[in-house]
Formats: sequence, structure tokens, C-alpha cells
Amino acid sequence: MNSIGSHRANGWFKENASRYGMLLLLLAILTLVPFVITNRFYLRLATEILIYGLLAMSLDVLLGYTGLLSFMHAAYMGIGAYTVGLFLTYIDPSCSLWLVIVLGIGLTAAIALPIGWLQVRTGGFAFALLTIAFGMMYYTVAWKARNITGGDDGLIGIPRPEIAIGNWVLGSTGDPTTAYLFTLSVVTVCFLLTWRIIHSPFGAVLESIRENEERASFIGIHVRRYKLLGWMLACSLAGVSGVLFTFLKGSVSPTMMDPLAGGAVLMMMLLGGLGTLWGPYIGAGVFIFAQDFISTMTEHWMIFLGLVVILLVLFMPKGIAGLKDHIYPSKTKRIG
Amino acid sequence: MATILTTYQLSLHFGGVTAVNNVSLKFEENELRSIIGPNGAGKTTLFNVITGRIHASSGQVFYKGQDITNRAPHEIVRSGISRIFQKSSIFLGSTVFENVRIARQAKAGGSLRILSSKESLKNVNKGTWGILEQLGLTDQAEIPASTLSHGDQRLLEIGIALAGDPKLLLLDEPTSGMSPRETERTTKLIRRLAKEIAIALVEHDMEVVMSISDRISVMYQGSIIAEGTPREIQQNEMVKEAYLGKEE
Repeated sequence: MNSIGSHRANGWFKENASRYGMLLLLLAILTLVPFVITNRFYLRLATEILIYGLLAMSLDVLLGYTGLLSFMHAAYMGIGAYTVGLFLTYIDPSCSLWLVIVLGIGLTAAIALPIGWLQVRTGGFAFALLTIAFGMMYYTVAWKARNITGGDDGLIGIPRPEIAIGNWVLGSTGDPTTAYLFTLSVVTVCFLLTWRIIHSPFGAVLESIRENEERASFIGIHVRRYKLLGWMLACSLAGVSGVLFTFLKGSVSPTMMDPLAGGAVLMMMLLGGLGTLWGPYIGAGVFIFAQDFISTMTEHWMIFLGLVVILLVLFMPKGIAGLKDHIYPSKTKRIG
Repeated sequence: MATILTTYQLSLHFGGVTAVNNVSLKFEENELRSIIGPNGAGKTTLFNVITGRIHASSGQVFYKGQDITNRAPHEIVRSGISRIFQKSSIFLGSTVFENVRIARQAKAGGSLRILSSKESLKNVNKGTWGILEQLGLTDQAEIPASTLSHGDQRLLEIGIALAGDPKLLLLDEPTSGMSPRETERTTKLIRRLAKEIAIALVEHDMEVVMSISDRISVMYQGSIIAEGTPREIQQNEMVKEAYLGKEE
């Protein structure tokens, strides 16, 4: 037993050392992006990919780990984005960035809580349908409350808060390079935190619910409670992505939370690979890049994107992340 | 011996059908009680009502003197009643180890920890290895549960149930679909477990039932029609009728 134990510990260290090495290398490369890509348009596109990657990852927490489907997850990004936009526009344009972030996440979570409480009381299919129902409600409010939200024009010219720690000003979120680096930092923190949570005892509970809800409750797990916690985690992360979105764009509009946007997040996640956390970032990258590329040639870019997704679902059901299994076919996970 | 579980005039009606009819049973500690009866007699349904999977229409269930009627399944499991299902219910996509580990974690606590790794719950890991050893599944610990043979999946489900440290274990046809060798292994395991905890067994293999039961209750059309030791049940005329039909 002892030798097996130490062997495991050793394996764990080796596996994780290479994993951390890869992560650091990746971060270094991502940090260098704004110094290599000097084109402002592409830098903003890269920032957008990070933000939508975060949103798609948060949906992965919900679908890939808890087994709950949300068709309108972008709605919670929208809530975070509108919260920040409205606050900076109407209440305090020079508010501290950190306070705005907390407000954005806080309000998203505050709205997601009662909705989630209701939704987890239904089964899987009804849950998914309710996400559409509530998503359409948020969308309609954003679209029709013209006096406050600006209607279908949305909010434009939202003040850009400065990134400052105490009196030390790092830059403005209006500057593309600063916005990119700031987004990268926040997304990295969110990714690491989510990775930690998913591989914690709590994350194991979420996975057990995905695998077999009935069995989970028959080992003594309060399934509804953990579904709600998973939902809250997913929605809070979506809220973060919304906050970052407003910082980047300086504007918000209802289209970011319409059904097409909800479908786009799902596509990004499926494209990248379900249940991996990192796959959705790749998916977001491919999706947004393809969208940009194809839309320069035709305005019917959705048709081509739809085709690509159909092919992926048919021939690569595990998404791009699934390619890893072809490269390392029989790699089993270590435990103990 | 003390009584661990009592059902008092427990009934369940689906529309016009009475699936469980006025069932009053006493399960004793450390007793292996079998519930037999023809298909559709209501044995599984009785288990479902006891474990909170289906709400009773009337009557009560007492566990150690406490009324647990219609409580949520997870609460009933936590109080000490585990079960396996007629159709295996395991975490197919997880490893064999994780199947038992998560059940152990649900029992031992720590499920709200979000910042440590699941591997850090040392007691949970230790308990899991202990159960896998008991089942003889240590060699398969790291493979996905879906790749186990049918018989081993049934066995794993017993392990999942045991991870909750039950005082009463409800086994719904544990040996169904097993080879004779697997049946023998499972029977041995059940017999060993029965020395420590109370077991309620629904089983169609009469050889198994007669050889390992302390007492047997016979269910027919939702009602308990006879109760006694295996020998008494074998000689009971009503039981013969229920199984074979009345001789004209």
C-alpha cells in the first residue's frame, strides 16, 4: 500500500508540474499578445475572445459538470454588463473599478438566486425551457425599458473606469492594451478559481449529479441545493464576463442577451469541448474568429457557422478538446 | 433484538390500483429479512415508499422510533438507510473508485469544500479503499464503472450503498443477471454484511432466499400474506397458492 501511495504522489507531482509549466508558458504567450498584435482591432477581438471564453466556460460549469442546460446563459452576462453600464452612466461615473466589479457580480448573483431556486425545482427539460423563458424576460426588459436602458440602441459612451490599486493608476480600461491585460488577469483568476472548485470535493458532488441524479440523492446528497450552488457559480462567472464586456466596449445593447447570443455561447462551448473548462476558450476563439472572418465575405455568416457546428457535432462530439484523446489515447486519470 | 424499521399500515394507491396495501412490517437489527412474492406484488414499490422515492398515500414509516414517512431520499439515506436499485444505478462515467469515494464523501462530509482537492479528504479515501477491498474491486479502482461487467456493476452498487455506513440496507434483486459464480460471491457478501447490519432483501432466486434469510415476508397483490422462517414459509399453503395458483 505504501509503495503504491508514494508512486501515486510522485505521479501526481510529475503530472501537475508539467501542467503548471504549460500554464505558465501559455500565460507568458498570452501576455505578449498586445506587444505582437499592434492592430487595435485584432487586439480588441482577442480581448473579446477571452471574455466570451469565460462566459462559455461558465456554461461548461453548468452543463459539462452539473448536467444542467441553459439556452440563454448570455442573459446573465447581459445583466452584469447592464449593471455596470447603468451604474457608471447614471449613478457614479468615476466610481472605483473594483466596486463596479463587485456590484456587477453581486447584482447578477442576486437576480440569478431566486430564478435558480425556482428552476432547480423542475426536471432537466423544464429547467432548460425555463432558462429560455427568463432569458426572454431579461431581454425584453433591456429592449423595452427605453428610458433607462436606451432600448435597442443600448447604452453608449459608458464612462471607462481607471484601473487603480489605491493611488497607483495602471491605466484606463479604454486603452486596448490595458483592457486586454486587465481582462487576461481577471479571466486567468476566474479560470484558476473555477479549476480549483471543479476539482474540489464540491466539484465532485456536481459531477455525481451530472452522472446520475437519482443515485446522487440516494447517497445522501441534497441534489437541489448543489444544483443551485452550481447554477450560482455559473451565473456569477457570467456576471464577471459581462462586467469585462462593458469595460471593453464602453457600450451595451440588448443583442448581447438575445436568443442568438445564447445559442452562440452554447456553440462556443460545444465547439471547444464539454466538461474540460479550457475547451470553451478554444471554442470561443474559433467561433469569434470564424464569425469575423466569414462576415467580411458574406453577411449570411450564420449559415456557414451552422454548417461547421453540425459537422462538429456529428464527427467531433467532444469538440476540439476531444482531439486530445486522439493524441494521448489510453491515458487514465490518477486517483488516490 | 431491537426493531430498526417499522412500517405501520403503509399504503400506496396509483389511481384505482393499490400497489402497497396496509403493510405493517417490523425489521429487526442484524436481521436478514427477505421479501418475496410474484412479479408485480409490490416489493420494489414498498422499497420506494420506505426510502422516500414515492410518497405514501397513507400509513407511516418509523426508523429507530422516528417518523421518517415521506422524507426526502437524501435525508433518509443520511439517517442510515441505503439501498440498491433493481436496475443498477451507479455513476457510469466515473471511475470505480470515484463511485464509492463520492458516496463516502457524502457520508463523511466535506462536500462544501471548494478550495481543496477532492484527493485531500484522506479519511474518505481510506474508507473507499476499505470498501473496494471488501468487494474485491481494488484492481478495477481506476477504470470507468461503465466498463465493469454487469455483475461487478451490481457489486459496485452495493459498495456505494455501504459507503454510507447504513444500519439498514435494502437490496432489490442484487443477484439478478449474475452468473452462478457471481451469485455465490454476492450471497457470501450479503451473509457477511448481515452479521453487522440489518438487511432487507428482495430476491427471485429462491435458493438464495431460503439459504440466507433469517425471516421471510411474502407479498401478494400489495399485501403481506405470510411471515416466518424459511422453513415455515416453504410449508405455508397460502404462499404456495400465491405462487402456483389455487388448485381446483
